Amino acid sequence: MADDKDVLRDVWFGRIPSCFTLNSDEVTEREAEPYYLMLPRVSYLTLVTDKVKKHFLKAMRTDEVEEMWFEYEGTPLKWHYPIGVLFDLHASASALPWSIIVHFKSFPDRDLLHCPTNSVIEAHFMSSIKEADVLKHKSQVVNDMQKKDHKQLWMGLQNDKFDQFWAMNRKLMEYSTEEGGFRYIPFRIYQTTGDKPFIQKLFRPVSPQGNPHTLCDLLKEISVDCEQKRYQVLIHGIEPLLETPLQWLSEHLSHPDNFLHICIVPVPTD
Amino acid sequence: MIVIGSESRGSVPNTSPNVRDMAQVSCCQLDEEEFRKCCLQLLQRSEELRDGWSWQQPQGSEDGYLKKTTLRCVSVTSKRSKKNQQDSALLIDSDCRQNQSAHVSAAPEEATDDADDEDVADDADVPACSACESSFLQFEYHVVFSCSYSSPVLYFRAFTLEGRSLTLEEVWSSIHPNFRLHLQENPLNAVSQQEHPLLGQPFFLLHPCRTEEFMKPLLQMAQQHHRSVNYVLSWLSIIGPVVGLHVPLQYFSTVCVKDPASSSNPG
Repeated sequence: MADDKDVLRDVWFGRIPSCFTLNSDEVTEREAEPYYLMLPRVSYLTLVTDKVKKHFLKAMRTDEVEEMWFEYEGTPLKWHYPIGVLFDLHASASALPWSIIVHFKSFPDRDLLHCPTNSVIEAHFMSSIKEADVLKHKSQVVNDMQKKDHKQLWMGLQNDKFDQFWAMNRKLMEYSTEEGGFRYIPFRIYQTTGDKPFIQKLFRPVSPQGNPHTLCDLLKEISVDCEQKRYQVLIHGIEPLLETPLQWLSEHLSHPDNFLHICIVPVPTD
Repeated sequence: MIVIGSESRGSVPNTSPNVRDMAQVSCCQLDEEEFRKCCLQLLQRSEELRDGWSWQQPQGSEDGYLKKTTLRCVSVTSKRSKKNQQDSALLIDSDCRQNQSAHVSAAPEEATDDADDEDVADDADVPACSACESSFLQFEYHVVFSCSYSSPVLYFRAFTLEGRSLTLEEVWSSIHPNFRLHLQENPLNAVSQQEHPLLGQPFFLLHPCRTEEFMKPLLQMAQQHHRSVNYVLSWLSIIGPVVGLHVPLQYFSTVCVKDPASSSNPG
């Protein structure tokens, strides 16, 4: 049985091999070759694609360039979702590498948030951490941290520094033993069907009788049928056992934003 | 009287011994059920006042939200302010409704022309300004409940009549300068762009993490004076004006008296 800390490392260093191709409608001065990149599952598209931008800008007239955005099979990719979530939700059944189309024009501002600078990503990331702590600890832990501690969380993510990040993040994973877990579990459930972008509710890690809630209990609560084998329940691209305690999942399989992002996708039919 | 949560229990003669304790604990927290009750009462009043609020519920969803659209007439001028405002294209809101200027209530009196109130001075005059062009903008406001923060959150977006979405900079510059100053000190309170939790589309919002801070004194004071409060309405009247949403005073006149015993409360 792997040490639990190894799980944290495996989650942090998860990568998705990707291939970026310029949208064929873009006007280029030179031919733009595809660009290959290993994308960190736990990061955000606009944070890790500077090289992609530089690569394609070399082939284009700079006056024709607007904000860069990405698309997969006709769907604009939401940069504010962790990369791993986007892949699991849209492309988990497809062959690798993940083929992403790059656009520099016609930004779809009814679908995508703008991302002019890294500080927008930072604000979004810190906002998620704050919301997660409201749920876990009524904000007490994150409010007790200093500004430099918040900065350390962000810098750890931005610079891919596992130790730097977790030195601070471990505080957000603590709880008093008499509680048996966090106050509520920060989670979001994504499905390609339905109108809502995600499902998020208040859900405790422990039942009123003191029994630990499992992943299956959570799915039942949001009316997902876990008995039938029509769906895959993916977290970081894997299917955890439905009996796994939710508290353990929250401590070990959360993203750096402290949320458990869970994708429910149809079982591949090949 | 509009009543929320435990206070309605308190007004029923047969009260349990712990009502007062429960009232203390829950007075500053809003749960989803109370949110809906408050919205319902707001909607009823809105209909009487023809204020334009409606309830929206996406298909297949249990969750809903309040929605209102307004047409605002704004003038886009070149930078005329003596102060060095950060935006070059100032959107001055000369709202077509006459009660617009009355609701910039958290700001100092409009008499002060000096400061950076050049915008407000123009407001009060509703300029038929020859140096600028007027255009109509459609603003859309949504009140959505956040279970994480146990509070309502105000989402909004704006379009030109041609359907172009306003950028963050344009929205930011349409916020009254006095609010802007305060917001800048608290970056998490600033206006930012986020995904609407029920529609999945980009909206602007004022971050809800500080809501409890300004609602708590209001609710506690109301409780001390044995006055009932509609959480959503009070909250909206405080933060709405920051982003150009006005809550007429008539909402708060006690025209309709609701029988407290008719509201059902789970134990």
